[in-house]
Amino acid sequence: MKLDPRTKLFLAVVANSVILSAPLVYGALMFAVPAILLLLERKWRFVLVFFSVYLAAALGFEHLKTMDVGRVGTLGVSTMMIISRMMPIGIVLYYVMQTTKVNEFLAAMARIHVPTKLTIPLTVMIRFFPTVFDEARAIGHAMRMRGIRLFSLHTLKNPFSILEYRLVPLLVSITKIGDELSIAAVTRGLSPETKRTCVATIGFHVQDVIVFMYCLIVTGSFVIASHETAKQSFVDFLSALFC
Amino acid sequence: MSNIRTTGKKSSNTLVRDLVNVGIFAALYIVLAFISSSIGYIPALIVFSIGSIALVTSIPLFLFFSKVERSILCCLIFCGFFGAAMFVMGQGILMLTISLLVGLLAGVILKVFGKSFAGLFSANIVMSLMSSSMMLPLWTSTEEYLKYTSTMCDAGYVAKLAELSQSPWPLVAIYAFGILGAIVGGLVARRVMKKHFERIGLAK
Repeated sequence: MKLDPRTKLFLAVVANSVILSAPLVYGALMFAVPAILLLLERKWRFVLVFFSVYLAAALGFEHLKTMDVGRVGTLGVSTMMIISRMMPIGIVLYYVMQTTKVNEFLAAMARIHVPTKLTIPLTVMIRFFPTVFDEARAIGHAMRMRGIRLFSLHTLKNPFSILEYRLVPLLVSITKIGDELSIAAVTRGLSPETKRTCVATIGFHVQDVIVFMYCLIVTGSFVIASHETAKQSFVDFLSALFC
Repeated sequence: MSNIRTTGKKSSNTLVRDLVNVGIFAALYIVLAFISSSIGYIPALIVFSIGSIALVTSIPLFLFFSKVERSILCCLIFCGFFGAAMFVMGQGILMLTISLLVGLLAGVILKVFGKSFAGLFSANIVMSLMSSSMMLPLWTSTEEYLKYTSTMCDAGYVAKLAELSQSPWPLVAIYAFGILGAIVGGLVARRVMKKHFERIGLAK
């Protein structure tokens, strides 16, 4: 099943804001969407592992957060908190990045009139995070072979040398990759002045409407619920003021 | 070569190269900023950790500044991405505004001073104001920030943060460390640029 890139973007934004600001119930409701979508992508084991870890962490946190658990317990509870808040966002972003092709992403962005001057660097940036880590790891291996580690005699003598030995090769290789990338892009006629064409068809279908409605319902119920408690506390405040 | 181009406009091929460079260096900058600010999880080093970002990132920033041709546009997009990444991670809209302003200022400085050492150096110092502003919500909206951090960190760390937010001096120290880091990093970056990048032709 294919979703429109715009729907995925909407899903990512809504899930991010709901998970960060709403109680855990709504976060779990939002987390169900990427879980089901990933199941449809046949990633059974991934979904099973992460969903069970998430459920365990969320339930454990809800159960333990009001209790007094010692110093070690606090560490455990805060780990559960991080898992239950940060992991769903990671899963949503993983789903979006795994299933969206750069081609479709650029086409969708052009369809909602985002200027090309923003979308080109954005796509390059998103694609470059794994490359940065890969290159850094490879350079780290090479430097370890030469005996240059974060805490070795060599680097303790001259702390700035770690910057030079690790950062300079990284910068050189990354700028070279970037130059090749821009040459390839120019050769294929990517330019902010011309209109881009795209073979892949994008458009809204039934599944997009379902995801949209689900997101809106969850967000709406959260807003209404928080609004009512806010209204209630306001009424309480007024009555306390006048009585 | 110069008589080939007849229109006064800059070629759009260099624009694509600039935009790709913005993407690459923004990714590198965000990764480096997160790595170097992560030493702030030791509570005694919180004030120093934010300042150390400017020190570590000044070499990539020097290279970035010397590679781009449209400085105002590129700095604006670069800082806008950093601000947007912070916004996604849960920082307020204030951070986004500050980073856009910083990007505009750095771009104008680069435009005025050119690609000389003075221009790169002062633009780097201006950029340090952006990374130093990461902790600003602790002072401008203390309670919300503490509530936000308490969702991610343990209670002892939050208590330490609350203690810091009582007086404005740690904030001044963060900015001072940031500017100091940018000055030292700029001097190091000048040496590194001469020693490595100019020799292999990556920068002029």
